[in-house]
Amino acid sequence: MNRIIEHPVIDQGQAKPEVHFTFDGSPLTGFRGEAISSALFAAGIKKFSEHVKDGTPQGIFCANGQCSQCSLIVDGVLRKACVTLLRDGMDLRTVRGLPELPADDRPAASTRIRRIAAEVLIIGGGPSGLAAAAELAERGFSVVLADDKADLGGKLVLQTHKFFGSEEDCYAGTRGYDIAKILEKKVRAYPNVRILANSPVVGIYKDRAAGVYENYEHYLLVDFQALVVAAGARERSLVFPGNDLVGVYGAGAFQTLVNRDLVRAASKVFVIGSGNVGLIGSYHALQAGIQVAGICEILPKVNGYKVHADKIVRMGVPIYLNTTVLSVEGDGKVERVTIAVVDKDWNPLLDTARTFEVDTVLVATGLSPCDEFYRQAVSFGFTAVKAGDAEEIAEASSAMFGGKIAALALAKMLGRDVSIDQAWLDKREVLKSRPGDTVCRDEPVMGQTWKPVFFCNEEIPCNPCATVCPTHSILLSPRKGSLLDLPYFQGENCKGCSACVAACPGLAVSLVRLVDDVHAEVQIPFEFDASGYQAGQKLGLLDQDGGFVEEGELLKKFYNKKYRTWVLTFRMSAANSPKAIGVRIQPEEATRPLREPRFSYLPDEAIVCRCERVFVGEIVDYIKANNVRDVNQLKTIRVGMGACGSKTCSTLLPQIFRKAGVEPAAITPGSLRPLMLEAGMGDLVNEGYTEAAE
Amino acid sequence: MITSDVLIIGAGSVGVPLALYCAERGLSTVVLEKNASWGRGQNRAAIGGIRATHSDPAKIKISQESIRVVRALQEERNIDVEWRSGGYMFVAYDPEREKAFRDLLVIQKAAGLDIDWIGPDRVRELAPGIRADGLLGGTYSPGDGYASPLMVNSAFHRLAMQAGADFRFGENVLSMRTENDRIIAIKTDKGDYSAATVVNAAGADAAEIASMVDLEIPVHPDCHEAGVTEPVARFMEPMIVDIRPDHESGNYYFYQAETGQIVFCITPKPQAWGKDTDNTSGFLPLVLRRMIELYPRLRNIKVRRTWRGMYPMTPDGLPIVNRPRGLDNFMLAVGMCGQGFMLGPGLGRILAQTIADGAPAPADAHVFEELTLYRKFEGMEMLK
Repeated sequence: MNRIIEHPVIDQGQAKPEVHFTFDGSPLTGFRGEAISSALFAAGIKKFSEHVKDGTPQGIFCANGQCSQCSLIVDGVLRKACVTLLRDGMDLRTVRGLPELPADDRPAASTRIRRIAAEVLIIGGGPSGLAAAAELAERGFSVVLADDKADLGGKLVLQTHKFFGSEEDCYAGTRGYDIAKILEKKVRAYPNVRILANSPVVGIYKDRAAGVYENYEHYLLVDFQALVVAAGARERSLVFPGNDLVGVYGAGAFQTLVNRDLVRAASKVFVIGSGNVGLIGSYHALQAGIQVAGICEILPKVNGYKVHADKIVRMGVPIYLNTTVLSVEGDGKVERVTIAVVDKDWNPLLDTARTFEVDTVLVATGLSPCDEFYRQAVSFGFTAVKAGDAEEIAEASSAMFGGKIAALALAKMLGRDVSIDQAWLDKREVLKSRPGDTVCRDEPVMGQTWKPVFFCNEEIPCNPCATVCPTHSILLSPRKGSLLDLPYFQGENCKGCSACVAACPGLAVSLVRLVDDVHAEVQIPFEFDASGYQAGQKLGLLDQDGGFVEEGELLKKFYNKKYRTWVLTFRMSAANSPKAIGVRIQPEEATRPLREPRFSYLPDEAIVCRCERVFVGEIVDYIKANNVRDVNQLKTIRVGMGACGSKTCSTLLPQIFRKAGVEPAAITPGSLRPLMLEAGMGDLVNEGYTEAAE
Repeated sequence: MITSDVLIIGAGSVGVPLALYCAERGLSTVVLEKNASWGRGQNRAAIGGIRATHSDPAKIKISQESIRVVRALQEERNIDVEWRSGGYMFVAYDPEREKAFRDLLVIQKAAGLDIDWIGPDRVRELAPGIRADGLLGGTYSPGDGYASPLMVNSAFHRLAMQAGADFRFGENVLSMRTENDRIIAIKTDKGDYSAATVVNAAGADAAEIASMVDLEIPVHPDCHEAGVTEPVARFMEPMIVDIRPDHESGNYYFYQAETGQIVFCITPKPQAWGKDTDNTSGFLPLVLRRMIELYPRLRNIKVRRTWRGMYPMTPDGLPIVNRPRGLDNFMLAVGMCGQGFMLGPGLGRILAQTIADGAPAPADAHVFEELTLYRKFEGMEMLK
């Protein structure tokens, strides 16, 4: 069983009830109410179906209800494994060919149209949607908030790391899934907010109504006066040969499996993309006991926060810059990945190829906003705002502010006399800003008393260290006059309490004091399982960039419950003491490529449209042969005609047009039509629905 | 000024096949289309049925030709247009409907159509699982069928381009100038044109185009919504049509496409006049209730996408195809009443021949007589 039993950060919570189910007739067990995809992964099953077009094995890609790649037969009916919750006795089957429609010929039970009304419909219950709900509810609006997941909080639910930002504004230092609970509790306290969890909005209609697929079982029309689109973002697909193999999926999907459902989804991963999602995803892998062979990034510099990258590197994960993925290969599943350095035009240099043996490749090449409903609402002339990632891809901390601001903007559009505090606008700007300058710090001067050493050189919106210091000895430098400023220590008043060490989301603060002329004590943060470490044990200590410093002797370990972080105290040489900040987690062998690269390079054989399995080469040829200038024409070769409704491929099409010699600006985009997600006919008319079902 | 033998306004269900047949006859052909590509008006909203089983001889004639043309695309030109001779089945659950269908069979058989009455068992053989309770039987026409409007229009466009037709997309006709009973100039937002023959195949915009030459034509679009499901293994053959009206809708119909999806549509009551093609919340509950009552096993199939399109209606439910008086080089091919996809291919062939030869073939002459602009527009075609 690929369950994560011990996790350094995540509580197992209460024991979940075990249920029995079958997959292609074989008996298996899982937990009641978990996603089927997670139960199958836990049982070691990653292939869920065979594509109807050519029999290619299919597994998860988004694990987020968006892409449909994980569909399989559940009790006779095709369903998405990632949003269908496991029940006792379920009969799961691989899809082979077109699924049979069950011959369920019982006469139709009574049907009904269910309709409710609200002043404001909020689509999405992540950080921005929840923040908007609280703000609107506080002002007396009747609100319906619909979210496609059972647990509110959006992607906060997957985030086991401590958040950046500021503690007073956005719970910085608190872990994402804890923030989700805080926000949800706040919203649930308002009687004028009706929450529809596990209930995606599947369409908005010209008559100012939305269709909600309640519990993926019933259909509820919501009439509204105004709309907040806070539907978040979806992970971008990436075009490379082998991108359709079982075992290639989004980094967010991986976090869902590993962090939300505690499934050890892989034994070794390679990560494409060094944005925060890729970096954090790698970190989460390590915490779950999964090796990370490396991260590649096509840009010349890391795309995410430097503290995240530093943290990953000193756990023993190399980051390959100016490097792209050439191919992923294997027999029906991922077995190896090959990367290569690119030239200035991003063409891969094949003689630089390196092949790694991994069983999973995570795509973390960015997010695209789920703003379709907003665009539709605007075209319909509705009163609507968007917030969070649906508005602009940024950190959850800024999404919370964005939600509040969007709510007030909407209240204003609805005729309320409200003004938006300039301070909020400023804060949101700071929270969503890209990292500022990278600053070289002065060599720290050590003394007999404890002093913090900061391994934090890049300006990002963050201040927990300053907030938690009981003697207020950590301040932000006045360089920019905002949350972006870097912390520094002032005075002689450090008590060595290690609150800053444990609270820093970047694990970038140590405490050092000299014990004699040649020895020092160092306290460093540690987010892995330290229960096996014994005092007196020697451990290899690493510097900010992952370089080996020296073996330190563990003096004591202390678990900070609030921040769920270990603080380890080492005795080491005074000279090296300001450099030590990490303990190597992953052995070097785990990241070694094969002696000789092993790959074939067939760039046209990459999938663009996953649902219908349409390859790059095919599309380029069709565009050229038919003089295509309208995305709708590509439907002829079935691009965008699948279950996902082009949510996955539409972001890739501009680059495909460019490849065919057509400037994307000259292209008419595909049309948007409901349903956003497929829904059963019986469900859509609430066949057999009774109030008791509610 | 760009001059051609034929200028077609509208690259849709009618205009694109017409362009192909004109070009194949050696006529220089220009097609002006306001949308970014072919078939983006009403063709994109067609559900795909093609039947010859109408109640009117002209429509029967045209659509018999359409079936030949579409079959030929697939069978002779080897272009996959997802054609399937699944037949049409009009089901009867009350004596009133049974009588109407049986009466109509006389006319249809006289027109040489392959259609007959079938009993409930045969109905349920062709559509396993359809409600047995109250089923009296139906008419079945195995030679009818369905194809993908997208694939058919795409094929016509490609063939027309290869035959030399000049398609100009994203171009709006602004005005037309007449002199001595002829259209001598067509002005668009991108250029000026003239042609020996100008064809109005502008679908829902037909009346606006005609008004540019001060011609009033009774074509008014109303809107219908339609949907498509996920694909499943084949379980039913014919297009099923239930013409019983209820308090909030008229007929509804659905079929299983060659690729396995169920495609469905309903006629709302009252009609939704106008050109607003945005989806409304009432459609799915309206049509699905009736579909599930008729065919309960559909409860488990998932709706994938819905859309709304226009039926450019005439008062009697029949198209208008002829040269208007006093405009010698203008041809109307308008008012398809939601059947442009099934009429377009045949009409294209008949019209191209008429344009090339200057007069219709003797066998086709009745089409132009029946579908003249100058008829009385009385009654309503029964199987509209």
